[in-house]
Formats: sequence, C-alpha cells, structure tokens
Amino acid sequence: MARIELEHVDLTFRVRRERRIGLKDFLVKRLFLQSQNPIMEVRALQDINLRIDQGERVAFIGHNGAGKSTMLKLLAGIYQPTGGRRIVEGRVSSLFDLALGFEIEANGWENIAYRSYLQGETPTSVRAKKQAIAEFSELGDFLNMPVRYYSSGMMVRLAFSIATAIEPEILLVDEVLSVGDLAFQQKARERMREMMAKAHLLVVVSHDLDALPYICNRAVWMDHGRIRMMGTCAEVIAAYRSSVGQAAAA
Amino acid sequence: MYAYLGAIWNCRFFWLSLVRMDLRSRYRGSMLGIFWSLLHPIAMTAILCVVFSCVFGQDLRTYAPLVFTGLTFWGFLGAALVQGCNCFFLGEPYIRQHPAPMAIYPLRTVLGAAFHSSIALGLAIIIGLLVGPDTQSNPSATRWHQLLALPSLLPTCLLILLFGWSLSILFGLLNVRFRDTRYLVEIGLQGLFYLTPIMYRIDALPFKDKHRLILLLQCNPLVPFLDLIRDPILLGHIPSWTSYALAATVVLVLGTAAMAALWIEERQLIFHL
Repeated sequence: MARIELEHVDLTFRVRRERRIGLKDFLVKRLFLQSQNPIMEVRALQDINLRIDQGERVAFIGHNGAGKSTMLKLLAGIYQPTGGRRIVEGRVSSLFDLALGFEIEANGWENIAYRSYLQGETPTSVRAKKQAIAEFSELGDFLNMPVRYYSSGMMVRLAFSIATAIEPEILLVDEVLSVGDLAFQQKARERMREMMAKAHLLVVVSHDLDALPYICNRAVWMDHGRIRMMGTCAEVIAAYRSSVGQAAAA
Repeated sequence: MYAYLGAIWNCRFFWLSLVRMDLRSRYRGSMLGIFWSLLHPIAMTAILCVVFSCVFGQDLRTYAPLVFTGLTFWGFLGAALVQGCNCFFLGEPYIRQHPAPMAIYPLRTVLGAAFHSSIALGLAIIIGLLVGPDTQSNPSATRWHQLLALPSLLPTCLLILLFGWSLSILFGLLNVRFRDTRYLVEIGLQGLFYLTPIMYRIDALPFKDKHRLILLLQCNPLVPFLDLIRDPILLGHIPSWTSYALAATVVLVLGTAAMAALWIEERQLIFHL
C-alpha cells in the first residue's frame, strides 16, 4: 500500500545573510560574527497537513517559490522536515533534477548501472533492463562514449530513460515533460502517461494548468510555504486562476 | 544503528561501483597505471634514504623499510583526510537526487584510498622480506618469523580502514560547514608529519626518556597504528596487545564521534552543500 502522510510539517532553512564562513572566521571572529553576519531563517514549508492515499493523483500548483519543489523533495526524503511528522510508505521514484547525478568520465552504460543501483537495483536486474533503457534513450553508439561529451538534451534523455525503467509505487514528477527534442518529447509523454497509470500514487508539480485536469484528480495550491487550498483539480485551478487574474488586474 | 548499517549494505552496489569507477579512471589512460600510485612513496623513500644515509649515517637496510611502511600509512591517512574533505561535494549530485545514507560517500573515498595503500603495503611487505628482519632490535628474528607474523596485519588493516572512514566522515562534515577546512587540514598534516615517527624511530631520537618531545610523541594517536604495521614487517613479531588496544581505543573514540556527528548533521547536510 502506497501512502503519504504529513502532520504539521515544517521545513526551515538557516542561512547566513552575507556569505558562508570559514573555520578560520568561526574560530577567530566568533564573538563579532553574530552582529555582522546574522543567521537568517527561511521558512520554506509551514504547518503542512496532508494525506495522500493509494490511487490518488495529486497536483501541486502555485507561483514560483511557493514551496512546490521543496515539497516534492521532502516527499522524496531528500529534505528532512525540521518539525512535524512525515510518513511515506512505498517505493518512491522521483523525476526531478534529471541532468544531475552523472559521472561525466564514465560512459553511458556505466552510468545506467550507477543510477539504477542508486534506485535500489541489483546487478542482475540491471543486466536485464540495460538493453531496454538503451533502446528507449535512442542514444545508440553514444552510450560507449563518456557522458562528458553528451549534450544536455542527451543527458536528460538518458536520465529519463533510466528513471522511468522501474515500476514505482509512488511517483514524484517535477515538470519534466519537456525532455529532449519533439519526437522524444512525444515518446516521453507516452511513457509518463503509462507510468502515471501504473503508479499507485502520483504527485506532480506543474505550471501547465490546462493539462493537469487530465492527469490528476486532486490539487493542492501552495502559497508562501503554506497550503492555501486543497480540493478537486477543477475547483482549485479555477480559484488559482481567478486569484492570479485579480493580481494581474490590480 | 543496525538499521543504518543495513541501509549502507543495501546500497552496496552503488558505492562499490563508484569505487570501482574512481579506481579505473585513476589508472585509465596510463600504461604505468598502478606504478604511478607507488611512485610517490618510492620516490620519497629514495630521497629520504639518500639524505639520511649520507648525512646522518643511517643503515639503509633497516632504514628503507622503516620509511616505506611509514609513508604507506601516511599516504592513506592523507588521502582519507584531504579527499575525505571533498567527499560530500563529490556525492552532491546523488545526494540531491536520492536519499541514501550519507556515510557511503566518505566510504567511497576511503575504499579508493585503501586500495592504493594496500598495493603499497604489498610492496612494503616484499621489501621487508627481501631485507630481512631488523636483527639489532630483535636478534632472534628470521624471515620465517616475519612470514608468520604477517596475518596479524589483517585486523590491523580493518582497524585502519575504520579509522580512515571515521576521519573522512568527520572532516567531510566539517568541510561542508566550513569550506576552508581542507586547507587547514593540509597545513596540519604537514606539521603532524614531523610529529609522527614516519622517518625516524622514537627510540632513536637523541633525547632523554623524560624529554617533553618524547612525551608528546608518545601521546600521538597515530603511533600505535604505525607499530601495528611495523612490528610484523620490520621486526618479525606479532604486535603487542597494548598496540592493538590503543589503536582500537582510538578507532572507538573517533568512530563514536563520527557517528554522533552524522546523527546531528545527516538530516541537514543537504542545506549546506
């Protein structure tokens, strides 16, 4: 059973206002530091209460910096909440920051292996999937070349092919629908639709308000790190639209 | 803690493949390959031998193995510390993508360093056997004694590995918080090199027993590790229990500190990368 539950979740970043400090500064100027370079708190998420059950497809919408992507990383377990409780049950697969996490000196095949291992595969299961991943990426002979020589589009292609080769229980997607060239985009969209249909639980962050109602049945509107509204996709998107429209008119 | 070790074990394929890649990319493209990793300790040993045998009249037969074993250990320590400082930055793309136990990134660095050093250690053993045991310090020793004492290096290697892993975790975390740690570590290592009996033996120093420098040297936590390596190779006897106990204590203290630091930092590490 896939399930996500957040209870009063807070996430606060602590950053120095001016710049990072070195050990030298810390030891020498510790006394004066507080006044010169105070620590600022950024409350990225505040008091989030949310429950997503098996079978639900949830969209997060909101303006830039509202905390949508942070939310996704929190759900993926990359960020840990600074307060409250986070329960995620089920095998998580995440599609964000796709161009990250390549060993640029290693070739495509090797990178397929590393990434799959990171997702919890074993050498046997990777061997079985390798060919399918390579075919889907359409990179052909480039796979024998170090990733250093890949274009950014090729990297995203490869990353997408690897990330979507597993059958996730919980799928987290951050606007990755724009991968590669036109032909690959169509293929990717197809694969996404397949995966979304197969996933037990889906969370999407997107600005594509027109497409969301076709994918999701629930929507969450985030604003300044808080949940502003939660409900069916249609009503939340309508409310969000009218608020943006008012802001633009005013 | 068992859960944490279990999590490390679960992603073993991941960090093992990274270690393998690190090693391959280090050796790839050079015919000399493994020889390169030995070049530094060999060259240093040669230089020190020339200097010390000419200037200070040291006996080469006992001096060369002494320096080479010392430099082998020192090479590992330096790599664990200096590369350990960078380990979390090296793993940053993975940290940003997937939740995995943070301790695997220092482990990757240390295992790479350990592989190099184990090659050097192999050479040190060969040199030690070729030269034969130091009969001045241990008159009854023969090459058989050396060979028989060699298995005692296995627990030693395990201790040193844990030692390096703990150091990498601690300094890796420190370097994430304070970016200049690495430079301070390099300076510190330089000083520590002379305070550690790498190119000399404590009992060969021209000081009286109660001299302050001797006391300082005896407090050096690296000394038991050096004894553990040198006793079987140079003297042909199994190291004393005191050496093992001292080394194990150092590992225990550092390991506990590393676990505590991870406990505190693990959850917020990503915000400081």
